[in-house]
Amino acid sequence: MIEFSNVGLRYGHGPEILRDLTFRIEPGSFHFLTGPSGSGKTSLLRLLLLSLRPSRGTLTMFGRNVSALDHDSLLDMRRHIGIVFQEFRLLEHLTTFENVALPLRVLGQPESAYRSNVTELLEWVGLGERMDALPALLSGGEKQRAAIARAVIGRPDILLADEPTGNVDSELSLRLVRLFAELNKLGTTIILATHELSLLDAFKFPHMTLNDGRVTMNG
Amino acid sequence: MAEAVLERTVVVATAKPAPKRTAPIVPERSVAGRTLVLLIAIMTFLSGVTLGGVVLVQKSAIAWSSDVGREVTIQIRPVEGEVMDSNIRTAIALAEATPGVTDAHAISLEDSEKLLEPWLGSGLDLSQLEIPRLIVVELGDPKEVDLPKLEADLKSVKGATLETHAAWRQQLNTMAGTLVFSGVLVLVLIVLATVLAVVFATRGTMASNREIVDVLHFIGASNSFIAGEFQGRFLALGLRGGVIGGLGAVAFFFLIAGAAGSLMPEQQSAQLGFLFGRFSLGIDGILGIAAVIPVIAALTAITSRLTVRRFLSQTSGL
Repeated sequence: MIEFSNVGLRYGHGPEILRDLTFRIEPGSFHFLTGPSGSGKTSLLRLLLLSLRPSRGTLTMFGRNVSALDHDSLLDMRRHIGIVFQEFRLLEHLTTFENVALPLRVLGQPESAYRSNVTELLEWVGLGERMDALPALLSGGEKQRAAIARAVIGRPDILLADEPTGNVDSELSLRLVRLFAELNKLGTTIILATHELSLLDAFKFPHMTLNDGRVTMNG
Repeated sequence: MAEAVLERTVVVATAKPAPKRTAPIVPERSVAGRTLVLLIAIMTFLSGVTLGGVVLVQKSAIAWSSDVGREVTIQIRPVEGEVMDSNIRTAIALAEATPGVTDAHAISLEDSEKLLEPWLGSGLDLSQLEIPRLIVVELGDPKEVDLPKLEADLKSVKGATLETHAAWRQQLNTMAGTLVFSGVLVLVLIVLATVLAVVFATRGTMASNREIVDVLHFIGASNSFIAGEFQGRFLALGLRGGVIGGLGAVAFFFLIAGAAGSLMPEQQSAQLGFLFGRFSLGIDGILGIAAVIPVIAALTAITSRLTVRRFLSQTSGL
């Protein structure tokens, strides 16, 4: 599903942030992505989100070389990828329901078509009672669960998470990763970037370690 | 997704009613609303007033040209040894005998006094002065009248000259054309200023809504979708500002027409009325100003869309 072959990334004429990345991620797998601050985790996730293109090498996703894709094809591919951020990035003027429904709304679906799906998903992540609440009234954990729900409502094949537990306590971190694990069981490929080593110990998923722009696969 | 999710979970979901009204993706308050509405209202007002002015000048010019073109004047100067009344009768007869002339009549002494009143004052006895007399010659179709023949015939009447007003008409037409051209130029400049103002407002709005744009990109929204969301907001603002400005412009002309009729002395009002048709725009003028409203609104929407598309193409990362 995802294959890196000698991929390098640099911003402008600067030094290479990522170097000679060569690895493969199978469909339906779960990987932690670890590494010290500044090691390039976010840049790697941006490559996977198609926000950036490799400066060199070949990145193949869904069987296609992303460097050779036009704008529309990239946009279409991006709709198969969900993303969760550390800082949640919910739209503050929209309710929880509206935030989670956003990916379906941008596809032009009427509310009547997605209302029950969004409601059920919110129930599943434990936000059934908070559907009409604005993000400002949600706790950190609730916001992150809403962000996860928004990321998966469009049934993505790949779910990327950039430090999703960075703003919650350790107990809630475990609960959130369990939620990701449940989604993985349903067939979604998960790549979860974190610097919390306790999570790697608690969940025996393979992990990729980025160090100085190079990746090492473990497990 | 939710269906698949529920297949593997023990949670039995209970559907709850969704919010009744879906909030717009671009919040209303995030667009520089009031300022932009005011700006567009002012631009529409100026466009409407300029357009109305152009319409007034053009209508008046057509009326002037038509009225002046349907008349020529014979002037009979007093000549020693000549009898004025006799010369007037001869000139009238010659005029009436000219093909295309429908009527010829001399302006009475009383009417001549009224014509001279603005310059000489009232209460004068003009019988003591020898003043030229005027004969108004009304024409049927100005193109069919043989004016060179009439001019040649009048040479037999001493002191008689024919005034066709051609030079005046030429001057009036030139002046009206210049005013209309200037008005159109001002309209073009107003439109350009509006476009520039909307471009700056849109850029500001996009910068302040960068988070929304980024999130929409991450969840797979196309540039076209995002541009449409912002365009809808700007179209609404453009329409609101356009309606305010357009109504203001129409009200302005009604007020001016009312003021010209009631505040000015009758004589000045009549002169202004002759020049500008009493500031009456007519239905075509009002429709013209009404047409400015959707034009300005569409211009606002299109400009903002193009600006947003340009912004997105630079920031989407795709």
